Amino acid sequence: MINLNLLLAGLGASVGAILRYAITNYGKKHWEWIGKKFSNLPIPTLFINLTGALILGFVFGIGSNVFLYALVGTGVLGGYTTFSTMNTELVELYKSKNYRGLIFYGISSYFGGLVLIFIGYYLGVLFK
Amino acid sequence: MKWTFFHGEEIYLSTKITNYISVACFAFFGGMARASLNASFGFYGTFWGNIIGCFLLAFFTYFFMEFKDFHQWLTVGLGTGFVGAFTTFSTFNLDTLKNIQANMPFTALIYFLSSIVFGFIFAFLGMKIGKKVGLLVRKDD
Repeated sequence: MINLNLLLAGLGASVGAILRYAITNYGKKHWEWIGKKFSNLPIPTLFINLTGALILGFVFGIGSNVFLYALVGTGVLGGYTTFSTMNTELVELYKSKNYRGLIFYGISSYFGGLVLIFIGYYLGVLFK
Repeated sequence: MKWTFFHGEEIYLSTKITNYISVACFAFFGGMARASLNASFGFYGTFWGNIIGCFLLAFFTYFFMEFKDFHQWLTVGLGTGFVGAFTTFSTFNLDTLKNIQANMPFTALIYFLSSIVFGFIFAFLGMKIGKKVGLLVRKDD
């Protein structure tokens, strides 16, 4: 059964995915030079996932009602960040034998995401 | 892209706009699918969604690379839109945080590490199988 929370999550995910698509397109054009300096890291996805983790931590920490969380947390931020693109990029780095890039990208995504979700959360609690 | 309606009106949309609309529409369903998995199975739902999504995205990416006869709006919609919104990195991190806060550091560690390992393995399998299937379909033509 479709309930309001699912509908809000779907609508939010549309907005989040558009943002992700726009940033990825922009980043592929303008941020390539940064990636080249760091073993060909996919900077757009890294930027998206890390900022998404920080903001979701904040949203969770500040505490919002169920519907707002479904729209912004599950919807917009869930659709904005992506786990599948990151892993496909990790496989691409592995395939091109860029092991340094693979390790670097993996650590900066996973470790960075974990640190940023905590920072976001405590910032949210602070602003509550 | 040209859309023709039943009473003969024609509307032209640039590829760029068509792609954005497609991403939004497919993401709507991807997000809803993830939210319902999450509502039914909690963080197990997020885990399986992410793992299955890794397989699907790598599969689509490499399948469409071999087998190019698809509209761009469809490949972008399915990949970036549906699967991209179906999987989530931020909720994955939040689930880890929630488990740590609920005093279940062991669950958090297992969840965190198995997502990393299985995400990569399933994306790798998706790449291999997507390539094979793409080549197979192309040969049949």
